[in-house]
Amino acid sequence: MAVQEVKVLSAKYGIKDSRTLAVARAHGGYSQIEKAFSMEPAQIVEMVKASGLRGRGGAGFPTGMKWSFLPKGLDKPTYLCINSDESEPATFKDRQIIENDPHMLIEGIIITCWAINSHDAYIYIRGEFVRQAEMLNTAIDEAYAAGLLGEKACGKDFRVDITVHRGAGAYVCGEETALIESIEGKKGQPRSKPPFPAVVGLFQCPTIINNVQTIASVPYIIEHGAEGYRKFGTEKSAGTFLFGISGHVNKPGVYETELGVSMKGFIEDLAGGVWKNRKLKAVIPGGSSTPIMTPKEVETCMLDYESIVEHGSMLGSGGIVVLDETVCMVKSLKNLLYFYHHESCGQCTPCREGTGWIYKIVSNIEAGKGKMSDLDLLLELADNMEGKTVCVLSGAAAMPTRSYIQKFRHEFEEHIKLGKCPFAG
Amino acid sequence: MSKLITMNVDGQELQVEEGKNLIDALSAVGIHIPHFCYHPALGFDGNCRMCLVEVEGARGPQIACNTPVKEGMKVSLSSESSMNLRRKVLEFELINHPLDCPICDQAGECKLQDYYMEAGLSKSRMEVEKVAKEKNLDFGCGVVHDQERCVLCARCVRFLRKYTKTAELGIVNRCDKAKVTTFPEKPINNRYALNVVDICPVGAMTSRDFRFKQRVWFMSSEKSVCHGCAKGCSIYVDHNQEKYKAERVYRFRPRENAQVNGHFMCDAGRLSYRKENENRLTTAKASERFEAVDIATSQAVALLSAAKGKAVFIVSPSWTTEQMAVAKSLATHYDGYLSGYADGYIVKGDGDDLLLKEDKAANRASLELLGISTDRQKLISNLKTAEVVVVLNNDLSLTASDKREFEALFAGKQVIFVGSHRIALADSAQTVIPCASYTEYAGVVVNVDSILQEVTCAIEKECFARRPEQVMAALSGNAIKAELGAVRQQLSASVPALAQVDWNAIPENGLNLKGGAQ
Repeated sequence: MAVQEVKVLSAKYGIKDSRTLAVARAHGGYSQIEKAFSMEPAQIVEMVKASGLRGRGGAGFPTGMKWSFLPKGLDKPTYLCINSDESEPATFKDRQIIENDPHMLIEGIIITCWAINSHDAYIYIRGEFVRQAEMLNTAIDEAYAAGLLGEKACGKDFRVDITVHRGAGAYVCGEETALIESIEGKKGQPRSKPPFPAVVGLFQCPTIINNVQTIASVPYIIEHGAEGYRKFGTEKSAGTFLFGISGHVNKPGVYETELGVSMKGFIEDLAGGVWKNRKLKAVIPGGSSTPIMTPKEVETCMLDYESIVEHGSMLGSGGIVVLDETVCMVKSLKNLLYFYHHESCGQCTPCREGTGWIYKIVSNIEAGKGKMSDLDLLLELADNMEGKTVCVLSGAAAMPTRSYIQKFRHEFEEHIKLGKCPFAG
Repeated sequence: MSKLITMNVDGQELQVEEGKNLIDALSAVGIHIPHFCYHPALGFDGNCRMCLVEVEGARGPQIACNTPVKEGMKVSLSSESSMNLRRKVLEFELINHPLDCPICDQAGECKLQDYYMEAGLSKSRMEVEKVAKEKNLDFGCGVVHDQERCVLCARCVRFLRKYTKTAELGIVNRCDKAKVTTFPEKPINNRYALNVVDICPVGAMTSRDFRFKQRVWFMSSEKSVCHGCAKGCSIYVDHNQEKYKAERVYRFRPRENAQVNGHFMCDAGRLSYRKENENRLTTAKASERFEAVDIATSQAVALLSAAKGKAVFIVSPSWTTEQMAVAKSLATHYDGYLSGYADGYIVKGDGDDLLLKEDKAANRASLELLGISTDRQKLISNLKTAEVVVVLNNDLSLTASDKREFEALFAGKQVIFVGSHRIALADSAQTVIPCASYTEYAGVVVNVDSILQEVTCAIEKECFARRPEQVMAALSGNAIKAELGAVRQQLSASVPALAQVDWNAIPENGLNLKGGAQ
């Protein structure tokens, strides 16, 4: 059976002026506010828990469980941060939500604020998303004007304020504690944990940080209940996901499907298959940091959290990159490592020094100046970097390094033997 | 001390203090966990990753600086895998390091060097080009920065944010291009700047004052007390005698002392070591002519004997408690008046709420303990009728008004100056006897908070090495006791506050005369 699109989050995509409040409302926007406010906050948390919704930012942590980590009875405000930094290469799904349906996100924020008793939400948006930040602010202004936000949000006795905070162009600020530092006006660098943000977060207060797509899924869950959401997806990977597919396919773009569909089917049925009648060489399944997969692995892999892990990679942020047979894997890895080296915040030693070192080694190999011993050194350095730092950026550089060399070692060896790139013509 | 708990390190059961992190708790029982960024006064930051250790049951290696000790915790430090953790981090620290130890001031007291030796790494696997950064950057206040040697532990940055709250430094850029720097046109500007040189675990922060002067392994180090102000910070006196040269002090460094100065000291106090080497009084005078010390001393004895009952003694407020006691005996011997007047040592507005005190006298508290008057009017009225004035290293020329007034009062009198430095009186007094300064004798001083600490003799200056108490004994014609043990015995007997002092076992961190030992 061919893989089909499912329109849950992308229901309003393609509708003219879907960004505007009027159109959003005409298509069901803000229709779940009444129901949500009629529920006890704890009921909403339980409902989200039961729905099986997992964080769509990359780590896939159960959302309801994250909310329940908030300490009770503290004499401090609780903050909600929406992570819209979306800087992982090959990821462009949150941008679509902001461009097409910002009011769904705002509705999700209002409901989430009610559920976790927060009055202040920050949307941390990637610095390069200039237009998207404008769109978001326009939508928020509309919502304020319509009384949906503010002192009496949606006419309830509950204040909700949303502040859009633009980043300054650092990948690491997508890491939740670096994001907090950045909102606080500091240099974006991840914090050592513990304490975790749910206890000590933004401005030293309890803070929940969720991805745009995660929060945008909340109104649907309220409307259809946990079971309604669980109708999509698998037991452990419930719901739908906005996958962004790019690279060497005929129809790149963002497609929403339920979790658990075949990866191969997704590439062929929705993205139109590998372009120019070429053969598939490799797939990066969930943003550039996730381990690369071979065509053989893609064959049997399903697009859900468990299956991809079983196939040695991760669902990550759902940014799928398809590479055809003409791609030089060494150059491709060099390109990724250039990014991770450039974006390492420079705080922890293994990442600060390691990302530069492995980038230089891979550059040498690509230029035909490598040695065979470099390959084992790279694998060892990847081990020495991963899991030794405050955040996972170090691992994000180590994982592709390891998987590229393990799965495409022959290409690296060929570069070294030939003393040049065999793909360079 | 809080509750003790039992934990296990490398298979060995240990009792450690509850509520501390692994680094501090184990350091207290003599186990050092390598680290760069953690500093007890600045808290954990978690960036260097050098203190990664294996904790049983934990998910992956843990940073010791942010891991509190727990009852029954099992930690592995010396296992091969644990050693490897550190080796790997160290390798990353070293790949872009310039390895210029032969010209680095930190060599010999560098953590990077120490850990490298301990980890037994010998060969570099780094074959690609190193990252080049800037060297010899003037950060202000005598702090010189080398970006290539820096391990970016941010101790300096955190010190200036948390301690001085001046925040002159920051880390700019990302990845291996990250560097510590000042803001444009805004150099470090505070009175504690040189502490960043001490807290820098490597040779990235050096002191313009100390650079290239000594290799640290040639120097000896003595525990002593800074005489820069009434705070009396605990210090190390680092000194060395180079071939064919006189022994000299090369630097003062703060010595950790929770009840006095914590981990730090001010720049003025730190650089006051220079006074121990410069402008020293080395020659004696008698009848306004240069003479041998013995001749000058006998002349002074003759003058004093002739003026019995008409002599005024003015003692330094920075001399040791024992020396003050000897001065008291000397004054009594000649039936004279002893004053500890030292208002000139107080510099109004020069103190702060960190360490610096307005009072630049090191031992004013002992004047009070010994009942030595510091009253200005009493001193003046006694001077009016005096024939001989003996100034015992008290600088009366610190304020212009004092200088004018006392010059007038001294006119027509025989003035005997016993001193360590060439202050104005060394020129104007008819009789001058040089004496040792505080890095050249032993004794105790009591600071502004009533904490008694030991001053130790770091340097023996043979040529003019008479200690103040020896000079005073000679001035009495050897009639009074000046030997340290005897003076201390007498102090214990006569001063109630000092009755309980065990002179042979004064704690390194000093003795709080108000609250007992620490």
